[in-house]
Amino acid sequence: MKKLCALLAVVALVAFAAPAFAANPFMDVPMNHWAYDAVGQLAARGIISGYPDGTFKGNQPITRYEMASVTARALAVIDMEKASKQDVEMLKRLVVEFKDELDALGVKVDKIDSRVAVLEENIGGWKFWGELRFDAKFEGERNLYNDEYTLEGDKEFNLNRFRLWMSKQIDENTKFVARLGTSDSTTKYAPTRWERYYLETKLPYDIKMTAGLWLYDWEWDSGLYIDEDAWFTDAGMKGFWFQKSFGLGDVQAMIGHDDSYSNGADGIFNTVDDVNSDYMFYGLRANFNFNEQFRFALNGLMRAYDDLNNQDESVYWADFTFNFNPNIAFKGAYFMEDLDAPKVTGGDDSPSAYKAILDVKQDALKFTSIWIEYAKFDEGFSVWNNNNGGDAFAYDAYGASVLYNRGYDDTTILFGSLKQQWNDKWATYERYLTADFDATGVDDATNWTFGVLYYYTPAITFDLAYDKVDWGDSTSATTHDGTATRTGDDNIVRFRTHVKF
Amino acid sequence: MSIKRKLVFTVSLLCLMSVALSASASTDSVLSRWRKTVKIMDEDNMGFVEFTVTYYSAEYIQALVQKEAKANLWTKDEEENYKYQLLKTLQLERNIPIFIEINNYGSALRMAPFGDQVELWINGKSYSPVDYDKRFNFKLTGKREGFVYFPRYNEETGQPLLAKAKTIKFSIDGGVSPITMGRRPSIDFLWDVYRDNPDQFFTGKAAERLELDRLIIRLGNLKEQRGDIQKQLDELDAELARIQSRIDELQSK
Repeated sequence: MKKLCALLAVVALVAFAAPAFAANPFMDVPMNHWAYDAVGQLAARGIISGYPDGTFKGNQPITRYEMASVTARALAVIDMEKASKQDVEMLKRLVVEFKDELDALGVKVDKIDSRVAVLEENIGGWKFWGELRFDAKFEGERNLYNDEYTLEGDKEFNLNRFRLWMSKQIDENTKFVARLGTSDSTTKYAPTRWERYYLETKLPYDIKMTAGLWLYDWEWDSGLYIDEDAWFTDAGMKGFWFQKSFGLGDVQAMIGHDDSYSNGADGIFNTVDDVNSDYMFYGLRANFNFNEQFRFALNGLMRAYDDLNNQDESVYWADFTFNFNPNIAFKGAYFMEDLDAPKVTGGDDSPSAYKAILDVKQDALKFTSIWIEYAKFDEGFSVWNNNNGGDAFAYDAYGASVLYNRGYDDTTILFGSLKQQWNDKWATYERYLTADFDATGVDDATNWTFGVLYYYTPAITFDLAYDKVDWGDSTSATTHDGTATRTGDDNIVRFRTHVKF
Repeated sequence: MSIKRKLVFTVSLLCLMSVALSASASTDSVLSRWRKTVKIMDEDNMGFVEFTVTYYSAEYIQALVQKEAKANLWTKDEEENYKYQLLKTLQLERNIPIFIEINNYGSALRMAPFGDQVELWINGKSYSPVDYDKRFNFKLTGKREGFVYFPRYNEETGQPLLAKAKTIKFSIDGGVSPITMGRRPSIDFLWDVYRDNPDQFFTGKAAERLELDRLIIRLGNLKEQRGDIQKQLDELDAELARIQSRIDELQSK
């Protein structure tokens, strides 16, 4: 119906060149409705008429007879007004453009049963999704620290990511999902592999089970990070995952096994199995919404290594969200690790960390959204979600390892991210992060980004971003693994084309 | 972080929150309280899928009607007429309508059958929709909006489902988009319905007309049921008469 109104609105505007604000005779068309003027103009021209009770019933479906009537009247008026050939051609193009929608509307009214049957039949078929990211990158200080922004040279034009999702509904309770993909984010020109493959099925008592290689992301589920800045989750795992919802709350449990690889931690892109790093994985989460304002969750993850003694590690955390209103939220999380072997010699085997976040949507301030995050790592606290060793991957949206110099000393992080959606086409964003390391002789690290997004269509987006990282001047300390700390700065200009289908 | 920086940070936070809170205290705050948006960005913060969901509480409807009346300078009768049409369109007399607006700048959503992707949780029980806008069954990129309707009354007992509800949850399955697939079981929206006053639906001329419509429909349904039952009774009476007749016939031999 909306598409139809859009079509009619365009026809009216093109063919009649009527005044912009026509009086609307229908009681139930609100003045601020997007189709108000179009409906008024069409009614004034006699192309559409309301119901006997004076209403238009804009949300009700239209029958083929009504559609035929409207079209015939529109064509008659166009002829009467001696519309130009170009106008008629435009009308034809619009009809073609909206054909699917019009067909759907027709079917909806006249053959709804058969259409539903077709849809139901399609449930048994495959569904496909996909995306492709292509990057052009220009780096400022090439190879300052062994290729900081993961470029081969000071410039690079490269396929950043390709993903093909597929799913098939096997029966009413069971679905298969898989993802074939490649990415150069960790290994150059990595081969295409199955990055996901899992079955989702419903067990007795409405317990949902996922089996296979899947992704779990409890920090994201709790809204604890943006971009790719998770500390522990947002990770793939092979095994079994159980979820049970209780209405306002849910409980999740998982058991998996990670086959670690000697030249990477994700177990996807690399081929040499490092059996010494294989581990069993256990997770438990309970999330509960008390009301629309407050939610609270308890989470626990554990790694139990197959062949390493006294290396097991666990992390437990509690997190909450308090919504002041639908557009402003305050969030927080407190993490505590339980380590068999402390990360720092003679250090604590149960270090902690926390983060506090103010999350303001653009609707609150009208011109920008705001994310402000304050985080504190105690000495010896390490995060799991990293590819570069240590905690270098956290807060690494553009490739620079901002936390590289952290070691395992106390660290304070202040991170801000703003985004302005100016209209359907344009958006801008800014990120700023400063990390204050307590290690003697190590300067603060800062990172800031400015970017412009252009949504050419909903499926094609262009992103031009400038990112700069600065580690300061001090060179007197070493990181946790004994390598020299980083100094100086580096920057990159990245132009990304992102296509989705 | 130095004490000075902490102080500046804290003061900035408080200023920001006070500005934001005062902005939200506008006349539209009632409307926005029942109209909630979840915007989910993809990993590189470019693509997104945005769900805006409206629960038609009595408070929301009242505010909406008043806003329209004010904007259009309606008389009381015109306002009641609009309210009547709105309530009728919403099917409030028998359903819980939820309006969904989707803005998808990520991979296409393929949600057919859409009715299987959404559920409403009331008092710990999950309910499936009785009807929804079938356009949600088609591949979705860009914007689309429509209603989904859930039952307002228990089918068996006829009792209103919201009678003792405090907070209800509307869920969209996380598997509808690759952005959310696997990461999150569902995309949830919660409303504290106990803070609403549904009796407001049934005040004024509009409510009287609506109730009259409902009673006429109910009258028709009851008459139809009575006709069906009467037909069954007649059939049973006829069968009884036949059996009695046959018994009499057999006994007389």
